[in-house]
Amino acid sequence: MYDDTWLIVPVYNEEPVIEQVIRETLESFPNIVCVDDGSRDASAERVARTGAHLVRHPINLGQGAALQTGIEYARSRPGARYFVTFDADGQHQVADVRRMLGRLREGSADMVVGTRFRSSARHIPRSKRLLLRTVVALSPRLRKLRLTDAHNGLRVFGRTVADTMHITCNGMGHASEIVAMAAKNGWAIVEEPVTILYTEYSMAKGQSLMNGVNILFENLVAGARR
Amino acid sequence: MLIQYVLIFVAGWLLTVFLRNHGTTRASAGAKICFLGFVVFSVFAVLRPGDISALANALGVGRGTDLLVYAIAAGFAFMSLHTYLRFKELQLRQAQLARAVALRDAREPQTPGDSVVDAEVP
Repeated sequence: MYDDTWLIVPVYNEEPVIEQVIRETLESFPNIVCVDDGSRDASAERVARTGAHLVRHPINLGQGAALQTGIEYARSRPGARYFVTFDADGQHQVADVRRMLGRLREGSADMVVGTRFRSSARHIPRSKRLLLRTVVALSPRLRKLRLTDAHNGLRVFGRTVADTMHITCNGMGHASEIVAMAAKNGWAIVEEPVTILYTEYSMAKGQSLMNGVNILFENLVAGARR
Repeated sequence: MLIQYVLIFVAGWLLTVFLRNHGTTRASAGAKICFLGFVVFSVFAVLRPGDISALANALGVGRGTDLLVYAIAAGFAFMSLHTYLRFKELQLRQAQLARAVALRDAREPQTPGDSVVDAEVP
């Protein structure tokens, strides 16, 4: 049913969880490309045991670069029409992806992004909530596009967006870069409320508050250069 | 003092010009000219400290040393920014290279959709 859909999963040191996440997701989505971003553990070996496609960066580049690699791989596959960016640590739900794909196929939007803030934000840890709200408050673009959650890793988009996608922020700044691209190219973005499972594992790996400073700086310089 | 506003305005203007044109031939020539000017200014400051002080007074920035400090601080700030942007460019090229290698060596699952238990990763 989802033969025309590709899931792009950036993987960096996810050995404990990756195999199970991919196996479970493959039951619904047959096409998954994992981009191993130079993991130091056995993540790539774990991925190779599943039925997912595997692309390996020879060195660690960052999540933005891994996404771009995955998108370039997926869009070169025959029959690929829909693309999903999906996290490797098991915090995204397959049911959410199905709903988002449904909305995209209706044709009213070019991209559907997940948001943690449309419904109750109670399940989000407080420091994280503060960070995410700050990013939105400081970004005029996000406010203009009426987006409530800039850094949600769950995104669904179609062929046109995938073909134009060109992420240059290797690190975590890519989320804002994608929004900037959307504003520039006039892509219609809609939000879909999603549930993020904050497991202890994903919390330990998640973005720290201080990384928010890095993201803001990166976007500030990039903004001045455009 | 007027000079303070002028300095801040010029710094902001230079920063914008620098950020917008970084990497172009004109910008890199401009940077070289600025550097040359800075060297000449430094030599002049060493040889004729009195003149620098007079110039500083005329501009309203106190002593000649202060003027030199301003120039060095500005030079350092631009240098840092230049290095940062340069690193970004190199990072991007490095990413493109690594991506090309990764895509060339991509592995498809042996039986699509099925698990491959004994697969070896090169």
